Amino acid sequence: MLLPLIIALHAAAAAVLPPLVRALGARAFLAASAPLVLAAAWALAQAPAVLAGNPAASRLSWVPALGIDLDFRLDALALAMVLLVSGVGAVIFWYSAGYFRRSERGLGRLAATMTLFAGAMLGVVTADNLFALYIFWELTSVTSFLLVGHDDRKEGARRAALQALLTTAGLGLPMLIGFVLLGQAGGTYRISELVASPPGGPAATVALVLVLAGAFAKSAQVPLHYWLPGAMVAPTPVSAYLHAAAMVKGGVYLVARLAPGFADTDPWRALVLAFGLATMLLGGWRALRQDDLKLLLAYGTVSQLGFLMLLGGMGSYTSAVAAEGALLAHGLFKAALFMTVGVIDHQTGTRSIAALTGLRRRMPVLAVAAGAATASMAGLPPLLGFVAKEAALEAFLPGHAGELPTWASVAMLTGIVLASVLTFAYSARFWWGAFAVKPGVEEPRFHRPAAAFVAAPVALGALSLVFGAYPKALDPIAQTYAAAYDDHGAPYHLALWHGLSMPLLLTAVVIAAGAALFHWRAIVERVQEAMPRGPNAEIGYHFAVHAVYAVALSVTRRLQTGSLPAYLGIILATMLALPGVGLVRALVIGDAPLPAGNDLRLWDSPLEALVAVVMAVTAIAALREHRRFAALILLSATGFAIAGLFVLHGAPDLALTLVLVETLTTVILVFVLRRLPATFSVRPPGWPKRLMVLLSGAAGTFVALTLWLATSARTEPPVGASYTGAADEAGGRNLVNTILADFRALDTFGEVVVLATAAVAVALLVLLNRRDRVIDEPAAEAPEAVPGVPGPPADEEGSAR
Amino acid sequence: MSEVSDGGAAPTGAGTPPEGWEAPRERWLSTVVSPAFGPRSVLLEVAVRLLVPSVLVFSVFLLVSGHDRPGGGFAGGLVASMAFVLRYIAGGRHELAAGMPLRPNTLLAGGLLLSGITAGLPLFSGGALLEVVKHTAELPVFGKVKFASYLAFEAGVFLIVVGLVLSVVAALGARMEAEEEEARAGRRRRRARSKGGPR
Repeated sequence: MLLPLIIALHAAAAAVLPPLVRALGARAFLAASAPLVLAAAWALAQAPAVLAGNPAASRLSWVPALGIDLDFRLDALALAMVLLVSGVGAVIFWYSAGYFRRSERGLGRLAATMTLFAGAMLGVVTADNLFALYIFWELTSVTSFLLVGHDDRKEGARRAALQALLTTAGLGLPMLIGFVLLGQAGGTYRISELVASPPGGPAATVALVLVLAGAFAKSAQVPLHYWLPGAMVAPTPVSAYLHAAAMVKGGVYLVARLAPGFADTDPWRALVLAFGLATMLLGGWRALRQDDLKLLLAYGTVSQLGFLMLLGGMGSYTSAVAAEGALLAHGLFKAALFMTVGVIDHQTGTRSIAALTGLRRRMPVLAVAAGAATASMAGLPPLLGFVAKEAALEAFLPGHAGELPTWASVAMLTGIVLASVLTFAYSARFWWGAFAVKPGVEEPRFHRPAAAFVAAPVALGALSLVFGAYPKALDPIAQTYAAAYDDHGAPYHLALWHGLSMPLLLTAVVIAAGAALFHWRAIVERVQEAMPRGPNAEIGYHFAVHAVYAVALSVTRRLQTGSLPAYLGIILATMLALPGVGLVRALVIGDAPLPAGNDLRLWDSPLEALVAVVMAVTAIAALREHRRFAALILLSATGFAIAGLFVLHGAPDLALTLVLVETLTTVILVFVLRRLPATFSVRPPGWPKRLMVLLSGAAGTFVALTLWLATSARTEPPVGASYTGAADEAGGRNLVNTILADFRALDTFGEVVVLATAAVAVALLVLLNRRDRVIDEPAAEAPEAVPGVPGPPADEEGSAR
Repeated sequence: MSEVSDGGAAPTGAGTPPEGWEAPRERWLSTVVSPAFGPRSVLLEVAVRLLVPSVLVFSVFLLVSGHDRPGGGFAGGLVASMAFVLRYIAGGRHELAAGMPLRPNTLLAGGLLLSGITAGLPLFSGGALLEVVKHTAELPVFGKVKFASYLAFEAGVFLIVVGLVLSVVAALGARMEAEEEEARAGRRRRRARSKGGPR
């Protein structure tokens, strides 16, 4: 199957995009859309087979022992999602080519990250293994963090990006636990197998709750919805893609994916319906009072996500049909509307309802297309949104939904109708706010948008109309997905006209009530103003983050006293308390036999005695020295003497390295000494001093004793001898180095990575980010640098040098 | 830089040499010198000028000969970074900046990349991670020469060690020096201002 290759192609495209953007400017987005177009075309080519009930599948083995494989599977649900992610995505990429200016800061990075995100999202919706899904899922979180925080000079953007990341990726962790529990309970990590034979029991219940938490966070369900409006600081094409077509649908997708297997497991349905409905109502209510068009759409998206969530998680035939319809409808109209706002913002420089007027006359084509998309959002015939909403109302009609008790379906139906009224009202307010002629508002001056720029929202708006007028085109996808449920003998089809039915009547009520709500919007506004502000979910987020900081700070304050003697004392005391006590115990009860005396020699060569004397003398002298510099020199003399000991024992390699390290540490310590007083502070004789002497003496004795006992307690022949032959074979005569770079090269590699990390960490700790500035200062006379202003970013400098 | 040692105090005895007698008249290093510690010294500067190239060559020798004799990437890297430390001690932080072939971060990244690629490359030809490929060739001047992939791995280690030492020296040495200089400049400015004030 081609799919893994297409996903890899996204990553490859992301790698070449930054230079391409430098050469072509925003037009590079046209090239960037190639992998997305390819993915959509591939999905369309697979569609006949998929709709005939033969999902396309492929597998790349990764860690087969743990059940972690890159399984991919394209069924009807995945097909719909791929069309959204890649098809609508490609349109948004074309739109981006007109939206961004060449001068936009970090455009190359933005294009690359968006392409990476598209690839990750494609992975999410086609992965058939829980771990593969999780990895792609978190990749979308990380790329979305980068995209939301695109304007990284603005503190608001950084904060919103972090908030989105903490919420979605933070609750991704419990979801991972849920995945593991689910896989353990079901005996497989393949999603298709799990859904086909769902595990039961308390473990599965806990797992489902955890998975739902992750899905709710990703799809911005109440009370985790706050990150989505915050993320609107992102550039509009990013919002159109992430927050309308793709990422926020991730949670809905996961719920819809698992629902055929788990909808009947308590408390799945209760949770999904309750949270979905609450989200739907709250989002609609909040959308009604926004002045910023983009924020209005964001709260509208929250509301729609609640709608999709309850449809996808409900788990009945009709609701599944409705879910597929609503998923596609929402992707089409919401992306079109975000892009419309983008055009308006781009041309007029404002998104405020209060400042816009008369755009209907100046941008007639856009106004009509946006009107179609808005009507689809409001659920007006003959648009796709209407078709989907009819199906949704049908799904919750009392008596039709055998999965719910009557009171529950009545409650759900009432809630959905109420939310639809709100949806109609905010949809009307959106179009009115963006395009209508408002008396008393000064008309903004602007250039008409280029035709190619407007083409993208117009195309998507037209699609809403086409599929609405001809829902038969989408019906097979919905039917194939819903086939997992019992259709009670009368399968529901997506259609414009179902006869004079209850849902149609309800739609009429919704339109009438919604129109009334819009007409008396001044009164509604006053009511909203007068309502007491309830608990704000965002405050909860800030409270949680602040609590983490506070706990971390208080722990650090208690543990890190800043006194080196105290740290050393704790380390030594621990060493004596754990292995030290063990050693004494073993000696007392005779577990560790004392070596027979004759393998204890005074020396192998008399030179060793000389070296030992040097070591002892310098060490004692260092202790008694009060000047820091002298003490340092004495200590390094001890180090050199140890190197001499290595030479005497035939380890020139070790000696060489030790000498070098000793020299460098001495030099570096001398740098530090410049900052310290010339002498040590004199410690008055007393208990602390005595304790330190005692501790040091005990530690030294312990180390010496352990070395002696350990070397003489050998029972097996040393492993070193066997290496000599192997080293000859490997073609190196220096055994130590052959071990380091060949036999145990993986260890070396790990250590080297640690070294590099330590280098970065040390430099950051000492300099607090200001290292580049020091090195870059070209002239001998240092310019008056302003502290706190970081140097130019390294990546831009790199090419210039 | 006219500012020479503020701690030297006025020489009193007749036998003591005049202040700054050690300062060289020719330029021995690549930047205008303001050493890390104390006044300039012609001895140190000339020695560094002579030593640094040989130390660098020696470090490469250690790297290459590591498999048959004492040495290797780690020791070689330490020796090479010692050359830069020498330049810093003799010439100060601007000399260090001038002498650095690349930024420490680039060195670290390059080293990690090099050893990572060497580690992973055998996987593509179906080998094991970090598998060593070697080849012995007869070259005209050098005679029998052995090429092995661990040399690339060791070169990565070499770069990382140089990057580590340079970033620590830049952090603990050069940065502190710069801060001191800034503080001194600030003090001078304040003094000038307070002197100029009453007039």
